[in-house]
Amino acid sequence: MSELNAVSDEIRPIRMKVIGVGGAGSNIVDRLMLSNLSDVRLTAINTDQQALANSPVMDKHCIGKTVTRGLGAGGDSEVGREAALADKQLLEEMVKDVDLLFLTAGLGGGTGTGVTPVLADIAVQKGATVIVFVTLPFTIERAARSNAAKAGLDKLREVANAVIPLPNDLLIQESEPDASLLEAFSQADAWIEKAIKSIRSMMNKTGLINLDFSQLQQVFANRSSKTLFGLGEGSGENATDAAIADLKLCPLLHTPEFSKKADHLLVNLVGGTSLGISETQRIMDSITDAFGKDANVVIGAVIDESMGDRVEICVIGTSGSSDVSIFRGRRRMKVPSPNSVELETPEVPKKAPKKSKKTHAKSQKAEQHEFSFNEGEPRGEFENTEGTMFEGQDLDTPTFLRRGVRIPV
Amino acid sequence: MVLLGEIVEGGSLNIIGMGQSSSKGVLKGDIVDFHAASDCAHAAILSAEDQAGVKIDGVYLAVSGSDVNGFPSEASVNVTPAEGRVSQEDIDQVSDLAKGRDLPEERVVIHHLRRPYRLDSRSVEKPLNLEGERLEASYWTVHGNARKIGDAIHIINGFNLHVDDVILSALAAGSVVASEEEKQRGCLVIDIGRGSTDYAAYQGGRCVLAGSFPLGGDHISNDLSIGLRMRLNQAESLKHRYGSAIVEHKDKGEKVWLNNDFEIGDRPIRLWSIEKIIELRMTEIFEVISKKLGSLGRGERLGGGVILCGGGASLRNCEQSAEGVFGVPARVGDNGTMATGELRESQYSVALGLLKYGLEYQSKLETTESNAPGLFGKLKGLFQ
Repeated sequence: MSELNAVSDEIRPIRMKVIGVGGAGSNIVDRLMLSNLSDVRLTAINTDQQALANSPVMDKHCIGKTVTRGLGAGGDSEVGREAALADKQLLEEMVKDVDLLFLTAGLGGGTGTGVTPVLADIAVQKGATVIVFVTLPFTIERAARSNAAKAGLDKLREVANAVIPLPNDLLIQESEPDASLLEAFSQADAWIEKAIKSIRSMMNKTGLINLDFSQLQQVFANRSSKTLFGLGEGSGENATDAAIADLKLCPLLHTPEFSKKADHLLVNLVGGTSLGISETQRIMDSITDAFGKDANVVIGAVIDESMGDRVEICVIGTSGSSDVSIFRGRRRMKVPSPNSVELETPEVPKKAPKKSKKTHAKSQKAEQHEFSFNEGEPRGEFENTEGTMFEGQDLDTPTFLRRGVRIPV
Repeated sequence: MVLLGEIVEGGSLNIIGMGQSSSKGVLKGDIVDFHAASDCAHAAILSAEDQAGVKIDGVYLAVSGSDVNGFPSEASVNVTPAEGRVSQEDIDQVSDLAKGRDLPEERVVIHHLRRPYRLDSRSVEKPLNLEGERLEASYWTVHGNARKIGDAIHIINGFNLHVDDVILSALAAGSVVASEEEKQRGCLVIDIGRGSTDYAAYQGGRCVLAGSFPLGGDHISNDLSIGLRMRLNQAESLKHRYGSAIVEHKDKGEKVWLNNDFEIGDRPIRLWSIEKIIELRMTEIFEVISKKLGSLGRGERLGGGVILCGGGASLRNCEQSAEGVFGVPARVGDNGTMATGELRESQYSVALGLLKYGLEYQSKLETTESNAPGLFGKLKGLFQ
């Protein structure tokens, strides 16, 4: 009997779950609710009962009632932490038997900042791969808030497999000048939603190149200090080129919070039926070229008929790997899938002959894109001079790069 | 840039020659290629001498760059109790004490900027013969790296010319562009050069804080070249043609031609992108100054406003950018008090200031050495 169980355990589908923590985190879960993802379970938790009551999510829990009496953490992350510890059993129950756990939260307040690290730690111990998406407060918000957010971020990086921070400042820069705050926030939610959906489709849909869970685990095997995360989308005749261009301009790749190159890279491609294997290879070449080091690059390509002529690229990478493996838990899935192909970083093709075949305009374009992805922050003319350090920043690096302002070319 | 001036009898100054050459071998205000820097300085000096038809007697050199820094130095003495009034000896003693602070190795003093004396915690301009018990003196000491300043002096010495004095460029500029009233009410002079930016803060009529840091116009060009993917000289040209220190064109679709020559390789560039890159950099330069000034940079202490000079001041809307950071009116410096025509433009402020400084220095010599013959000293200001 037990043997049978073991077998069935191996072929069961990947169990994915999204838990939204606190107000901002729950908003994203609410949003995912609308997209009807049958294979992803959605949960919202909060310390504020009233806020939770408004959420359409079925599976919602108010935690730490003994600490906060259901009235929220009052912006104090310590209260949030205590609330989470008070309901530790409930949290353990929540993440039990989850393979891939996404946590979403807004850092800076009480619940998101306090509860998320505790929950991430529990989930990792239970054997789940934990990917955390967090929004960071505006720099104009009071300093206490951004300090709390920074502390929370550091804690999360210690425990979770990957932490992907989205600074709110960036959202404002990205949105139209007259956009309301709400619209800006919903932009963050949209990014997170896309990322979660992309990873989900990687796991579940039939693909040109299938990815399985163990490969995903490899990418996130080590706790890492910095992540790289970007999304690109293109449509029309040259959908793939447009998607690559869009990805490279993705503002998330230009913030100081993200690393420019990754040790481990996960690339997923979702396209319509027209997406061919040669086209896929081309995309992968240019992406590994831009973001990967000599890294392990794991590639997935998925056909989704509903995409039409659109192509979506999602890149997630981790760097600064430590030797400490994060898998302390009991379960580690090792299911070598016969129809999956893992591509090691392809030899970087020699650029010169490639270019000569292209038209003048095209080669110039390619050059432009490659330019901004130099190792480290580019310093141009001042490359060989001593850095102009001021308050921990090298002022020789262009201001717009350090502040993560996206400059359309 | 070299301006050649002649002191005529009666202590007034005529500018009789000017030489300019574009600076080479200098990065972020530091000499990185001795020969290139030497050659271009020589070219400027020669052309000024040719124009004036005279030989230069002495040189006043403006310095700036990464290595010029400042710190406050203070000292206090008890007033000689016998009289209870401040004597000249007391003042000399306290000044020497304050100036005597040891500098780290390899540093040389460029200026001791005297701040008002304090007598029993009252701020007094001239303490001599005033009653009091304790006299305090405070200086803002501007110092630089001996080796780097030595390099600059060495270049001038290389043409058999003697450097009479070395002056921080913002101080030189401040003596020309800021009016007495502005200095009295408190103002800030900012000299934005190619590789470095200098600042001098005035309170109660005198400069109380000055410094320099290696950010300047070159950084703007470099930012543009990286951000918009073009060569440095193209970026430089775009900066001059379309640059603005604040975003004027809110419409992101508006574009201008990179080279405007309709040749292959020319391409349209978004005006918004150009302006945004410059806006961010200029704002940051002013923010750095604001942070370095501390409480002196606050609006209520800058009644006289902000005065901009140097090449960076010719950037459109740079006044607005400065106003945004400091919260007080800003203007571009004008050398109208000293010069006419072309020389009124802000990039000549430093060189004019050097001449003015030299003039005052020479006339001081004249009064102390009473038998000095009618002085026809020729001075030169050089500014890199």
